Amino acid sequence: MRPFFALLRRELLSMVISPFLWGLLAAWFALNGLFFLFILDSPMIQNDLSLLPSFLFGSGLLVWLLLPSFPPLLTLRLFAEEHRLGTLEPLLTAPIRDIQVILAKYVAVCLFFLVFWGGVFALFLFLASAGAPMPWGAIAGGLLGALLTSFLFLATGMFASAWGGNLVLAAGGGAAMNYALLFLPELLQGSPGLAGEIARSIHLTQFLDTTFSAGVLDTYPLVYLLATTVFFLYLTWVRLASRRWLP
Amino acid sequence: MIQAKQLYKSYGSLRAVVDLSFSVAPGEILGFLGPNGAGKSTTLRILSGFMPPSGGHAAIDQHDLVDDSLSARRSTGYLPERFVAPPELRVAEYLAYRAGLKGLSRMQSKRAIASLSTRLGLTPRLKQSFGHLSKGFRQRVGLADALLADPPALLLDEPFAGLDPLQRQDFRNMLQELALDGKAILFSSHVLAEVEPIADRILVLHKGQTLAEGTLPELHALAGHGQSMRITFAVPSPEAALEWARSPLSPDFSLIAKEGNADSLRFTLESNSADWSDLVTWWVMQGFAVESAAIESYSLEDVFSDLIRNREATA
Repeated sequence: MRPFFALLRRELLSMVISPFLWGLLAAWFALNGLFFLFILDSPMIQNDLSLLPSFLFGSGLLVWLLLPSFPPLLTLRLFAEEHRLGTLEPLLTAPIRDIQVILAKYVAVCLFFLVFWGGVFALFLFLASAGAPMPWGAIAGGLLGALLTSFLFLATGMFASAWGGNLVLAAGGGAAMNYALLFLPELLQGSPGLAGEIARSIHLTQFLDTTFSAGVLDTYPLVYLLATTVFFLYLTWVRLASRRWLP
Repeated sequence: MIQAKQLYKSYGSLRAVVDLSFSVAPGEILGFLGPNGAGKSTTLRILSGFMPPSGGHAAIDQHDLVDDSLSARRSTGYLPERFVAPPELRVAEYLAYRAGLKGLSRMQSKRAIASLSTRLGLTPRLKQSFGHLSKGFRQRVGLADALLADPPALLLDEPFAGLDPLQRQDFRNMLQELALDGKAILFSSHVLAEVEPIADRILVLHKGQTLAEGTLPELHALAGHGQSMRITFAVPSPEAALEWARSPLSPDFSLIAKEGNADSLRFTLESNSADWSDLVTWWVMQGFAVESAAIESYSLEDVFSDLIRNREATA
């Protein structure tokens, strides 16, 4: 496990000292703060604060704008940037398993993304400290759903990053996959037959809105998010390891 | 230690490496020589475990690079052609990270970094970030990285590229010391003068194929060259010396040039087998006035171009 932890440490260190990632974090905090203020300003929320998690984590700009677009900006450095700089070759010729490389990078970027969510959670704490009655169950559920969705989007972003040294393709590819995961079920949910059935069973925004943000802990969305995440991690591994198989 | 057997690599219709076989024993330095695009880097990338061969087998320390890539990589220190470390990391941070990646404990890592930094002159640079290092120091960091886990085999792709003459000399000395430590070293270069002084054996690659392999004298022989000696006799009696030399020792040499003036006469002799030192000693003992004697070899450059010419003529 030593190589795994060595790489994990290095990834975290690189993230912590990256001005680009601090810039992203600042943008994330600023935009979330802004959305939070807009939502708080709405009369519906002022009448019923229990709707806040659903507005924020279920169907708002956070879900449609920030959640799909920020993770690929973090993950583009994982492989594409290494490829571009030329540091991938020393890494992949070191005595470390490909799966350890993937997991170390993934765990590092997930840990760093927790800081992003920590900022969002702080907004609720701030509100609570002002004496507002907070629906903590729904907040925890909404935050869990958003967290798991962001982990899925980090996995898709990492997969897109593993295709070469083009940073635009890495970020754009990741964002495209994320929007596909959000939009396609939304578009196809009303379709008749199998397509509609599949769309409804992987309807991510529905899970976020009516399950997680309602404070309901349903195993189906949990399993869906975890399984899809593992699937993209597996695809990343196939992409990386196939380099050693394909003559 | 390092073995390649009928190694083959193609990229679509391009055959980068064709039926390449060689081995490097512990303590041996094999110079991998060839022009750009000869297949040197491809071979080293295969041996480093970065990419698989399209055919054939390669092994490091008896670990097959396809079936047991991880063990093979554990036994290998690899310096890629364009070695780059994350520019934001300091040298010490980078080496500590690489040591961890290679499975060294914190204590082993500290010891290895301290020892290699001293050996490679990196100690004053340990706190400097990689992005601020000169090319020479970057190469040293790369070599330190390759040596961290004390691997028995070293693969160095164009290790002299970008180094100034002094750094090259240092680097050559380092490689020779490492070979004395028992490491099997395979290094590539397209600059002939870099290979000649340190390689025990030389493998000449051309268009992905072995053009020739052997020690420098063996390559001279393959290229159809002999060794030559320039010997200057004080007059009188140089012609007699030559006659004397021919009869008792019967060395297989030929006179290829004769220059002279009133005071001395200089011969250039060429031979594939003559023992020049015996011949000169013998002349001196016979009382001939040898003023100077110097063995002149063809440069590796001559050998290389003649080998290619021979190959193309045969083809």
